[in-house]
Amino acid sequence: MGDGYAPRILVVDLSTETIETLDTEEYKEWGGGVGMGAKLFWDLCEDKTVGSFDPGNVITLGGGAFSGTPVPSAARTAVTGIGPQGHPTEWFTTSNFGGRFSAMLKYAGWQMVAVKGKAEKPVWIDIRNDEVTIRDASESGDGLWGLDAHETQRVINKIHEADGTWRSYGESRDSGRTTQHPAIVTIGLAGENMTHIASLTHDGGAGAGQGGFGGVFGSKNLKAISVIGTGSIEVADAAELLSARLWAADNYGYQPDDLKAFPISITGMPFSGIPSSGTAFGTASRPEGCMNCHRSCHGVRNARGLGNGSHCYDTQIYQTPEMTATGKITIDTQGRLADLMQGYSINALMLDTVGYWLGQLHKKGLVGPGNVVDTDIFEKYTFGTYEWAAEMLARMAEKREIGALLAEGPARAAEKLGRLEEDVKSGDLPLQEWGWPHHYDGRTEAEWGLASLLSSRDSNAHDFNWICMWTVTLHTLYGAPMPVDAAQMAEIIGSKVAPYNDPMMINYSDDAIYSESMAKLVSWYVAYYHYYKNSMGLCDWAYADFVNPNTEDKAGLTGIAEPRYVKGVTGREEPLEDGIKRGTRIWNLHRAIFILQGRHRDQEVYGQYMYEVPSLPVPGYMLMSSPNVLPVYENGEWSYKMVAGRVVDAARLEEWKSLYFEFEGWDPATGWPKRDTLESMDMKFVADELEKAGKLGA
Amino acid sequence: MADNDTTATGSGVTRRQFVTGVGGAGVGLVLGGLLVKGFILPDHVVAIPASEGYLLVDRVKCATCASCMLACSVAHYGRANPSLSRIQVANDPFGLFPNDVAQNQCRQCPYPPCVDACPTGANHADPETGVRMIDPAKCIGCERCVHACPFTPSRVQWNFEDKHAQKCDLCKDTPYWDEEGGVGGKQICVQVCPHNAISFTKDIPVQTDAGYLVNLRRDDAWGSLGFPVSDDGMELSPQAAPAASGH
Repeated sequence: MGDGYAPRILVVDLSTETIETLDTEEYKEWGGGVGMGAKLFWDLCEDKTVGSFDPGNVITLGGGAFSGTPVPSAARTAVTGIGPQGHPTEWFTTSNFGGRFSAMLKYAGWQMVAVKGKAEKPVWIDIRNDEVTIRDASESGDGLWGLDAHETQRVINKIHEADGTWRSYGESRDSGRTTQHPAIVTIGLAGENMTHIASLTHDGGAGAGQGGFGGVFGSKNLKAISVIGTGSIEVADAAELLSARLWAADNYGYQPDDLKAFPISITGMPFSGIPSSGTAFGTASRPEGCMNCHRSCHGVRNARGLGNGSHCYDTQIYQTPEMTATGKITIDTQGRLADLMQGYSINALMLDTVGYWLGQLHKKGLVGPGNVVDTDIFEKYTFGTYEWAAEMLARMAEKREIGALLAEGPARAAEKLGRLEEDVKSGDLPLQEWGWPHHYDGRTEAEWGLASLLSSRDSNAHDFNWICMWTVTLHTLYGAPMPVDAAQMAEIIGSKVAPYNDPMMINYSDDAIYSESMAKLVSWYVAYYHYYKNSMGLCDWAYADFVNPNTEDKAGLTGIAEPRYVKGVTGREEPLEDGIKRGTRIWNLHRAIFILQGRHRDQEVYGQYMYEVPSLPVPGYMLMSSPNVLPVYENGEWSYKMVAGRVVDAARLEEWKSLYFEFEGWDPATGWPKRDTLESMDMKFVADELEKAGKLGA
Repeated sequence: MADNDTTATGSGVTRRQFVTGVGGAGVGLVLGGLLVKGFILPDHVVAIPASEGYLLVDRVKCATCASCMLACSVAHYGRANPSLSRIQVANDPFGLFPNDVAQNQCRQCPYPPCVDACPTGANHADPETGVRMIDPAKCIGCERCVHACPFTPSRVQWNFEDKHAQKCDLCKDTPYWDEEGGVGGKQICVQVCPHNAISFTKDIPVQTDAGYLVNLRRDDAWGSLGFPVSDDGMELSPQAAPAASGH
């Protein structure tokens, strides 16, 4: 009986050009993705304090047990390793992307792929079922080096002669056939040039932006990993899995012939989300779903160069500048920029952040030839136009003119200009934690900020963001009736966050965000997204599903669906609270890696603007700034309340950290896990290693 | 356009249906098909029993998610594998809408060359429903049916794991799915397609070499979501409204 896993893990050492195979069995307890990735990193990275571009860094890619099976919306590929985006330390971190890669890897027989070392010359890895070849990517070989990320994939597709008809892999007729294109993850110039802002690009618009792993590929002289698989993934209980899939989609998913949505529809809504073409640009298009997705939030249009396959941030990052400069938002600008970014393999958030920061400094007269920020880009191009952004992307990818500085990431760039402290303090350069661009706001959406602060990146898990913030805020702004009132929301969510089941966890009042209920929320949140999403493979745009327009009681499928999927795929009886335990275990392993890299609680502080500048109720330094209307419990009653305008209280945050560390069984003085805590999770090996480093919690 | 609510046509086809249905597959099939065992229709056209069911796929509506492919292989074999799916959705990640993807489902040809090519009767028309299907126990692995299929890619495939030919049976034999399949039951690809882009019909559809002419977008929310509802997929619906989005 199968359990959804592919049998082997592929380890490629580019320094020695050797291939090693590990048995997946030994890593299954970690789920996959960032769980398995962290354990592989733990085992394979000999010195965890090396820099991201050091050949000793180990990068892993892969999905989980759910990937490539009929579990709805389980197509993510997780990436782990030391990322160049972190500042001042390049922390071990994670990223992920949609599409087909993790599924195809499993069909080829590989659960995960880990890459270490550095090739002498540019190479790419060509995986064809169990045949793995390290191929020459230079001009004298397949000529991939120097190509943009899209062209690279087109060339590899040609090498495979992929044209949608049946083709065979192997010598015999039984060695496998497919009509599918290989799944390719690759880099463009920004990756090749080892910038700190480079993403990994897959297909037209899937990409792992945050983390800077494109630069890690570049540092290893690795242009691409291509995989084609023709094998099967056997699941434990196929009938239960198909039943769960249909039950979920029929009862909780969007119904094309009976569309039920909240009054203000949000394409990004969780499981019930409606299909989109990436973003609404009014062109003939189809929605594009990642492998086995039930809702399809990417899109394909009838013209090249308009952001096909891109969505979300990729097609929105420059909307505010364009609107400000021209009074409109056009696909011609946003779509073309999305394609350029994917081609260069540049993290979408970087253009947004850099644009805002330089715009602010420009207003202050600090930007221009020979000025503090020495660049002619504002003289030659108008900010807000396509030309300005395209030129900026080119300069960053090519490390040209001001781009050479910005390619190091906004934190390092500001540091070199001597402006880091001042500009972060004022909010002109909004780097919320670890030098990463401000995403959602820890001053209001506390769990998002705190999980980011205690990890190594923006949490980027919209579990509570969609329903507690966006749904409530948009309905408030449009004056539409709320899908559920605040008390109902607390009751529904409280019923689903086992084992705590505390409705107070979503109390976002000024006091409650420093309380134990917030400790519970953060603990549940990080465990849920580390396990079910980033390890097992569920997509952040579909899970968790708390409140749903398709059900009579408005309760979503979270809590019921995940155990059904686990049962169908792996055969394991695993109630949600057990899954949360698995997530907590993965969270502790990540924490241990941070600690070996030098993490101490004293470093875990926000960018200074978070303490001094009130959050904005309207789009400002990030286009998603909003009134942040959230559920609060005050004076014995639940209500929805605008909480924008507040700042983080530094002293109370420090108190909360102590409370949280105690809650997790970590030493409140340092934030380091204690031996008892680790051993209770069968992680003696971690406790021993931390003790050896003198970093075990007391 | 034929859709789910069509009526049964019995065990044979009318002259009109036969001529219309076979038109897209070409005259060669008609001639070649005279060699297989047939029966005399009331209007004296020689043919084998028509399939009583067909799959329709709206090529404009399909979101290329391959949900149908995985569900097909799991329902039939208990294993997820696009290569073992009897419907093949071949997507070019860099193609342009609407020609970026081809949905290749068995047409249940009125005059099926795959059945004709089989030397053992493994590839046959189901006596009860006319559905062209394969009995793996009788398959000797010659692959003649695979090569006989007039469509590219072939709708009859070599199952290289279990070593027999396979093709769409409209889910008549799905040991890993707890539902009644076949002509009188459900089809997993129809059930699992999240956008209702696959439909089942009992009428022989009008078809061209490009496929059945199908528009399954008019009667639901497709247009209001901002997607085209015209047959060719190039005209946006007037009621299309942009949806709010998050990040």
